[in-house]
Order: sequence, then structure tokens, then C-alpha cells
Amino acid sequence: MTKIGLEIHCQLTKLESKLFCSCKANYREFEPNTNICPICMGIPGSLPLLNKSAVEKATLIAMALDCRTPDKIAFFRKNYFYPDLPKNFQITQLNAYGNTSIGWEGKISVGNVKIRIRRIQLEEDPGRLIYEGATEKTKLTLVDYNRAGTPLVEIVTEPDFETPHQVREFLNILSDLLENLNVSDPGLEGAMRADANVSIEGGSKVEIKNIGSFHDLEKAVHFEITRQQSLAERKIEIVQETRHWDDGRKITVSARTKEEEAEYRYHLEADIPWVRINDGTKNQLQIHMPESISSKKERYVSKYGITPQVADILSSDRYFSELFEKANNETNAKDIANMITTDIMGLLDTREKRDASKLKGDHITDLVEYIKSNKITRASAKLALDEVIKNGKRLSEIIEDLNLGHVSNEDVLSGIIAEVLDEEAKAVEDSKQNPDIVNFLVGKVMQKTRGKADPELTLLLLKKHLDID
Amino acid sequence: MVSEEEIAHVAKLMKIELEDHSSHIKRVQKMLEYFDILDNANVESEEIIVQETDLDKLRDDKYVPYDKDLLKFLNSYQGKYVKAPKLN
Amino acid sequence: MNLGISALNYVNGIKNNEFTVEEFISESLDHIKQVDEKLHAFLRINDFAIKNAKEIDAKIKSNQNVGKCYGMPISIKDNICIEGSKTTCASKVLENFIAPHTSTVVSRLHSEDSIIIGKTNMDEFAMGLSTEFSAYGPSKNPWNNDFVPGGSSGGSGVSVAANECIASLGSDTGGSIRNPASFCSVVGLKPTYGLVSRYGLVSYSNSIEQIGPMTKTVEDSAFLLNIISGIDPNDNTTLDNKNQDYLSDIDAGIDGKKIGIVTEMANSDGLSTNVLDATNDSIKTFEKLGANCEHVSLQMVPYTVAAYYTITSTEAGSNLARYDNVRYGYELDSSGFEFNSYISQARSKLGPEVIRRMILGGFVPSAGHAGKYFSKALKVKSKLITEIKHVFEKFDFLISPTVPIQPFKFGEKINDPVSFMMVDFNTVTANLTGIPAISVPYKITNGLPIGIQIMANNLEEHSMLQAAYALEKTVDLPEVQI
Ligand SMILES: [Zn+2]
Repeated sequence: MTKIGLEIHCQLTKLESKLFCSCKANYREFEPNTNICPICMGIPGSLPLLNKSAVEKATLIAMALDCRTPDKIAFFRKNYFYPDLPKNFQITQLNAYGNTSIGWEGKISVGNVKIRIRRIQLEEDPGRLIYEGATEKTKLTLVDYNRAGTPLVEIVTEPDFETPHQVREFLNILSDLLENLNVSDPGLEGAMRADANVSIEGGSKVEIKNIGSFHDLEKAVHFEITRQQSLAERKIEIVQETRHWDDGRKITVSARTKEEEAEYRYHLEADIPWVRINDGTKNQLQIHMPESISSKKERYVSKYGITPQVADILSSDRYFSELFEKANNETNAKDIANMITTDIMGLLDTREKRDASKLKGDHITDLVEYIKSNKITRASAKLALDEVIKNGKRLSEIIEDLNLGHVSNEDVLSGIIAEVLDEEAKAVEDSKQNPDIVNFLVGKVMQKTRGKADPELTLLLLKKHLDID
Repeated sequence: MVSEEEIAHVAKLMKIELEDHSSHIKRVQKMLEYFDILDNANVESEEIIVQETDLDKLRDDKYVPYDKDLLKFLNSYQGKYVKAPKLN
Repeated sequence: MNLGISALNYVNGIKNNEFTVEEFISESLDHIKQVDEKLHAFLRINDFAIKNAKEIDAKIKSNQNVGKCYGMPISIKDNICIEGSKTTCASKVLENFIAPHTSTVVSRLHSEDSIIIGKTNMDEFAMGLSTEFSAYGPSKNPWNNDFVPGGSSGGSGVSVAANECIASLGSDTGGSIRNPASFCSVVGLKPTYGLVSRYGLVSYSNSIEQIGPMTKTVEDSAFLLNIISGIDPNDNTTLDNKNQDYLSDIDAGIDGKKIGIVTEMANSDGLSTNVLDATNDSIKTFEKLGANCEHVSLQMVPYTVAAYYTITSTEAGSNLARYDNVRYGYELDSSGFEFNSYISQARSKLGPEVIRRMILGGFVPSAGHAGKYFSKALKVKSKLITEIKHVFEKFDFLISPTVPIQPFKFGEKINDPVSFMMVDFNTVTANLTGIPAISVPYKITNGLPIGIQIMANNLEEHSMLQAAYALEKTVDLPEVQI
């Protein structure tokens, strides 16, 4: 089985200032090295000053992803030498002395797959390197530190994805969520970056780094699965390694650099005391937050009697749960939930389709009502749904347009039944031995009416004609 | 005793040239040997104690542009970029 | 003019028109010129000192508001930044580093109209206890120039002891204020962790170090602490001391107070007979002052030096990683160099002790060794904090000799790293636990000073200063001959 895990880096672009200094969080509008100060440049004598809102916004993300959140958060130093790191260490988080990162053990559903969130942490972004000329000929590296210290939230998932499609869907859901929480603008260049790890049945885990956009992430994962499968087919061992996504050639390339022993010498960042986040603060944040997935699910089950499975699927997707909330008028909740999960989710299974869809909650309310009162068959309802999604017209109009109303006129139906009985002489004959054949004949009538025949009336009339009780 | 190779390896990670400093190795070894005393402290079960603060005491999220030209204090730059040696 | 007066007497002298700021400053500068070639307390003298003095004199003359310091000359350890001037940490790596910011302590001194007379010598990046590791040569003990002045704030200690200035600010990571205070026979105070802002102090081991005053009298330390202490928005670790006045009731005495003599420190293997005698003598003095003295054991103390060096090396390894000469430092053309070799080349300017600490700092927190060294050190620190907390439920103060030995000769200890480390034995406890501690000059034996250390509970500087004041009033030490 293919297993894919993700490490998402998301800048908190909606913040005014950087994580540890008052320089601008959105560095994009600046000339190189003009959005810097002694703190983000690590000038001797400077001290990090933690941004309160960064902690709050990161905690919001953790809550929205159903994570557990700590009573105290702690920061650590990850030590390594690199020109984009002004201090030659990065201030980040680690759960070394209990759980002190922004969040852990979260979950989010993507369709009917549950993706577990391992950990969420708050950290600083490094500066940006600019290379002059081709790599081999480059005499030096140029550094722009404007980005250094930008608040970054790292979201690490368990390897719960099985397909690139799920990865894409997850990223879409996550983007929506971050936008919705007003913490980030995922559309900004470089605001969202990701690394992935991919393994297929029986193979080692391969890390893919350097993926610049979510669009490429899906491609990179897809490429990597195909690459690994092709190796497996040829019985070539898949080695554990780090690969880079080559943006130009759209392939993953083995990171040739010799695996220098990763030795980050993590230790506590003493310049930032552990920050207590009390229940009052958490409750305050909760007010600004869309209802959590788990509490939504619980509400669906307990208030509306929806089965846990359906509630799970429905609650974990913001788009469909919003649709549900709008369509549901307290008396029809179960039917609405079933229609969304069995019919609508399949029709709107990509973000593009959802964006283009004209379907509103009212449409679903009406559809369920029409089916219940026998004004339309289930089969016709499906056709109507297709139309609604396309043009957003009112249901009554669509039924008229497509002539989807039930054929429940006895005379009309009797005429059609007569035709069918004529054509299906053998079946009529067989029905004398086997009364179940009548269902086959109902089907034939349905075919002729393109699903519009009132099924109960048809059965009744057929039985009358065939003398079955 | 910690081997010379181990110390040399760490020195490399810390970007310290040991060529001219081989005399350091013996001294470092002696210091590390002294640190073995920590094994007798019997502290395995201790919880660590750290400084704490409250969320409201932290800096408010406000953009305040730095009012000095920091590039002036930096010694090696090209145009508007800081110059670093090439990688790899 | 007597340059050896206390800060409080200096203020009175100015107020009573006994001398002008300019007179005092210019005489101080002359004195520095005379003695500092030998003593080498200073790395740099403030060229604007006379100009500053004139400005303050003008303010005094025209009855403008004048700050509490009235132009008093204060020296600053060269790891504390002042905007626009060099801060080298006595390292070649920062030979040309000009700070773009002023430390909070210096800002506060400036706003009280003190004059920063110069930057003082120290062990490179504050790693050491004798100034022998300064990249610019050691400072000399004014009591005997063949002996070390202690360190790492050795230059600060010397500058105060030799009357080159009224007072100084040092930094104390494991005794770096108290050790030279003891060796030079001045008062040195290490405040509670967080009482004084570290903004503008070049970090060495940021979880335990503090800036503090080095002065001629206990009252002067209280006077300076009033100015430099308190919460600072530029340092997340600072504490609110509610503007406490440390000078008030400083003469309250210690009648009825309970004093714990730390057994492990008062009887350690490395304790010299002279220091032991002085300590026993001080215990009698405390009792005469009405305090009850009793031995108390801190079981973690034997492990503190190892824990201290493990923690400080780890943090130093991280804090000094930024000295890669990419953004600031000295002239070294990077073109043609590969990144790693450039940095290694640049960092070879670090001095020998710093290099050793870098190696230790790479080793003790590394994945394979953190369990043996770094985690244990943190736990020793934590257990010591718990022990200290219990002890202060019963005692008001803890005392010990500040340093187990008297000043030693240059080169005497430098080749034996373990006995070198053990010099810190009595001072590191206050750093590891965060509590305040003060060294009070107590005795001169064989021409060399001995200091007594008083420790108090967190944020108990006020009562600690009362105890130090009471002890100070019982001693009458000879003047240093320069
Ligand atoms: Zn900044």
C-alpha cells in the first residue's frame, strides 16, 4: 500500500510583524535587505521578542485541525550552519520535555479518509539565497534576509495519504481553512511550501524536498510513486533517501550531497520563557473559530440522529458541512445528510467542480422534500441535481424544463404498460410461474418513461394486468 | 575515554579547524572525563524547571520599521545583497 | 583629589561643589593613562568623556534636571553594547564590530547622567576566570601585578579597585562578577536571573547569565542596582521588581536572621587554608551581628561545576555560531571559498579556550551524548533549584567563601583544566539556580584579597544587600597601593 506523509510550511502572512521582531511579516514588497533589524539579523546583543498574535494564530490552526494544545509552549534552537540563517540556528519547537509545541495529535478528513496530524509547530523562516549564474560556476551566494524571521507554522501529518489526489484534496481543504481562519493568504508566492515522504508496499521511505507550490506537490508525489513502482516492477531496491523536486524538469532527483549526519544539537531557547496558554485564552480563541470537526460530528449524531459514519464524512469537509447546515431545517437532517454523502459528494469531488457549482442549500432542501412527497423519483432527482449544479435554477423550474415530474396518471401509465406487455410476451408468460418477474417489467416501464413513472403505481397496475396479488 | 576521532568529528561539525589545535584534544578529553561525575548525581527522574511567562506579557503584533541602515553595519555585501561564500 | 571615593560620596562631592564633573573625569583619565599601561583594565577609553562631562557640568550650573549619577565615571565590560562604538568581547573575531544598538543597562545609566569612561578587558566571550584568555592580553591584579585579577570581568574589577572609575558593570555567568570582585577586593553583585535586562549583552550562556554592578561599597551596588534593574520590553526574560529601592534601610542589620553555611563550599577539597580561616572568621562576625549561623548541606553542589560547564558549553556553541564572518566581523574576502571552509577559516580567529568550549558545546548536547551529559546537567540544575527552595524556607541567607582560593599567579592554573574549572565551585550555584549573590571584600591575607559570598532567595536583593552592608561595616581593609 502506498503511504504518503506531508510536512507543510505555512507562513502566517496575516500578521503585521515577524515572529521575534517588529520587521514586516510580509517581506515581499521590500528591496533586498531593507526589512531587517538587529534581532532578525542575529546581531550580537539582540534578543528575540515573541509575537503574541503569532502564538494565537498558530494555536487557532492547531484547534481547527482538532489538535491537542499545550498549557505551555516552549521554543528550541535547531543548530546548523547555513548562510540563510543569520544566527546559524533556527528558533523552532520540539516536544522534548512533554508536549510543548503549538499542537499535536490532530485530524482532518479528506473525503472518507482520515488524515492524522502528528504535530504543529511555530518557527522562523530563514532568509533567501540567490545564486549567481550556473551552480558550478557560481563564485558566491547572495543572501536577502528580508524573509528571515517570518512566522511559519509547520504542520506534520502521519503517512495517511494513499493517492496524490488525496494529497491535493487535503491541501485544498487546508488552504480554505487557513484563509478562513484569517491567518494566511495561501495564494501569496512562497506562503505555502511542502515536503513529502512517499513509500510504496515493501519499499523504503523517500523524502521529497524543495517543492515550491502545492500544485507541484501533487505532481511530485505522483512522479515519485510511479518511479518507485517502476523500480519495484524491475525488482530494483528502493533506497531510503532524500530527493529534490526539479521544478524545471518536473521530476524528483536524488540529493547527491553526502548525507552529512544530521546533528542539530537541539536545546531550549532560554531567551523565550515558556509561555503559559491558559484555558481562558483558549476559550477566547475558540470564539473566533469555526466549530471543530469533532464537535460538529458529535452534534450531527446526537442532535439529528445521523449515523456516526455519515456524520464523520460530512463534518470533516467544510464545504459539504456548510451545505448541510444550510439545507437542513431540523426535520429533514437525515435525508439531507444522506443525499449529500451518497449523491452530491460524488458529483463535486474536486475543488474546481465545487467552485463552479451553482448548488445551494435550498436546492437540496427542495429535492429531499420532492422525493419525500413523491413528486419526483430518486432517479429523476439525480438528473435534476446535475442540472442544478450547472445552472442553479430553482428545482421546480428544472423539473418543468426536463419534464422530470412523475408519470402518475393511470391512463398514461396503463398505455405504456400495455406496450411493454406486448413487447415482453415471454416475460408475461414466465410470470405465471415466477411472480418476481414483475420487477423486471417495472424496470422496462421505467426505461420507457426515463425514470419518471411512479414506481408504486406502476407495480400496482402491472400486478393488476398480470393478475398477481 | 572519548576518542580523538570523535572530537575531531565534532570539531568539524562546529566549523573548528583542529589542525593547529591538536593540543586542545587532550584538554577537552580531560574536561569530558571530569563531566563523568554527572553519572553519580542520581537525577534521572528529575523534572526540568524552567522560566515561564504569560501570553499577555508578549510583544503586540505591530510593524515598526527599523530606523537605521543596518547594511552599513554589515561588512560584506554586493549591491543590496549580503555576500556569502558559495555552497558545496 | 581622591579618586577612590564611593559613588554616593562622588554625588555628594558634586552637589557640594567640591569638584566639577570635568575635573573628576579629567583626573580619572590622567590616572588611567598613568596606571593602565601596567594594569590593562581597559580595552578602549571613551573619547567623548570630557565633552560629556562639560555637558553635565553645564546642566548642573544652569539648574537643569540632572540624573542621579551626576557625571560619575563608570566602566563597562566589553561584552555590553553601546551604539556606534566597538564591542569586541575581547575577541579577534569581533575586532571591528560596531554595535548598532545600546544595551538597556547603558541606556539607563546614560539617562541618569553617568559617563561611560571606557570598555573593560575580559576573558574572550566571558569564558574564563582570570582574563588570561583575553585576545588582547590579560589585566593585572592591582594588589600584586604578578597575580590574576580574576575573571571574566577582570578588567571591570581592576578598574574599580585601582580607582580608574567609580564603578563598573560586569556580567556573571558562573562567577564572572564575584570572582574578580573577590580577587580585587571590590563588591560584586550577581542579580536574580531576570532582574537586569540582558538586552545588548553579547550572549555566552543566556539561560544563566546576568549583568551586575562592581563597586567600592555595598551601598554603591544598591545605588547602581536601583538604576539598572527592572522589567524591559526588549528582554522577554526580565522580571518586574516594582521599582524596589535597594538603598532604603540598607543599614537595617541582620539581628535574628538565619544564615546557612553551605557545607560543600565551606569545606571543599580545593579550599585554601587562608580562605578557610577568613570564612570561619566571617561566621563569627555574622554571629556577633546577631545572626544564627548553621551548616547546611546542598547535595547537588558537587555536581554543579560539571553541570555548569555542560550547559554553558552547549549554549555557547549555539550563541557563538553566528560568528561566521558572513554578515559582520573582520575583512576576509569570501570569493573563491567554499562555505564550510570559509567559516572554519574565519572561526580560526577564536581563541584557544573558546575553541575548546565550541568542541565541548558540539559534543555534550549531540544526539549520541546528550543523555549522558546535557540532559543530566539540566536535571542537576533543576534538582539544585528544588534543594535551594527548601533551604530558603528555613534560612534567610547562605554564605560561603566567594572563591575557594586567593588570586593565583599568571600561568599557574592555565595548564590544568580541571583545577581551573574548580575555581568556579562556589559561584556557579547562584547562576544555575538563578538566585542573587554578592561578594563582599573581607580580608587581605599575604597581600591578596579574600571575599565572602552571601546568597539569598530569588528577588531578595534588598535583604541580601542589608546583610552585605552589615558585614562590610565590620571590616577595615588596607588601601590598595598602585
Ligand atoms: Zn527584524
